[in-house]
Amino acid sequence: MTEIFSSLYGQNDGQVPPGSSTLGFGAGRPPPQPPAQNQASMSAQIPLQLGDEGPALRRPGAMNEPFYLLREIPVGNELTGNTNLITHYSLEHAYNKFCGKKVKEKLSSFLPELPGMIDSPGSQDGSALRSLIEKPPVCGNSFSPLTGALLAGFRLHTGPLPEQYRLMHIQPPKKKSKHKHRHHRPQDPIPPETPSDSDHKKKKKKKDDDPDRKKKKKDKKKKKNRHSPDHPGLTGSQPNCSNSLR
Amino acid sequence: MAENFDNLEEHLEKFVENIRQLGIIVSDFQPSSQTGLNQKLNFMITGLQDIEKCRQQLHDINVPLEAFEYIDQGRNPQLYTKECLERALAKNEQVKGKIDTMTKFKSLLISELGKVFPEEMARYKAIHGDDPPS
Repeated sequence: MTEIFSSLYGQNDGQVPPGSSTLGFGAGRPPPQPPAQNQASMSAQIPLQLGDEGPALRRPGAMNEPFYLLREIPVGNELTGNTNLITHYSLEHAYNKFCGKKVKEKLSSFLPELPGMIDSPGSQDGSALRSLIEKPPVCGNSFSPLTGALLAGFRLHTGPLPEQYRLMHIQPPKKKSKHKHRHHRPQDPIPPETPSDSDHKKKKKKKDDDPDRKKKKKDKKKKKNRHSPDHPGLTGSQPNCSNSLR
Repeated sequence: MAENFDNLEEHLEKFVENIRQLGIIVSDFQPSSQTGLNQKLNFMITGLQDIEKCRQQLHDINVPLEAFEYIDQGRNPQLYTKECLERALAKNEQVKGKIDTMTKFKSLLISELGKVFPEEMARYKAIHGDDPPS
């Protein structure tokens, strides 16, 4: 066995000092009466194995006589799951931002300025980012501006694009929020009463807004009628009309 | 670092806007718009050059592949961040629970062993010292 060992590791192994041969054994199995040199080498070896600093809690096996497999108590100041790691790394703001309120599901809400239908899966139109990793594009050449001869290749036919290529203008439908309607109502000059009344007034208002000229004509007619004494029920009819509007 | 991100974002926005305008020109091409098209094509190349320059400033940024999956599925990548934070907190609480339980178990075990094996436990405490407060 020793021959094989020496043939493998060379002849220098035979000149190993006697103390170093004991280093091959585990620390928990010291010889019964170790020499002073051996103890010193072991005490030097243990800190190297354990990487301890300061007072070693673990003693050599001979001193832990009634116990075996006695290990060190883990150092208390080590960062573990015992501490709130989100607080430790100052991520409370990020946590409250993302977990405090509802994050919108669609990609278009994250990139609202990006044109096109970006909410559809990238695997459908071959625009998946994963394909960049799986099949990286052939690159390496630097980008150089197109000269006149190269630009000749980009002379296009006149006219609109075929239907299947008009993807740039398609935007995902934006939902109309009810919030806007609420904003509009208080701005109305007429205070809202019952919903049926307000709807009715809206319709009337639309009608009134369009023919401004008609109003002016009516006013002129009224002025003329006031001057004429034959006009019946001027004082009685007008207040009734105003009441009905209100 | 934030400046580098802003710089890249600005270049990407310009690039996207240029591509959008290019799309509009191409969608209903007229012979008079050939000059504009050529100009936009060269803008696109300079845009790519600018983005290429930004790459050198951001070479040490790592993007998790899971975030790519979210984008490929048309989902908001902020959901990935949200789920990561929620998972981290849940795991943190789980580990804390385990540590607390094990600490209680240890103190209980030591006290019970002290009753049954008082001498051995006295030796044990002499070697290990007093237990840190749990």
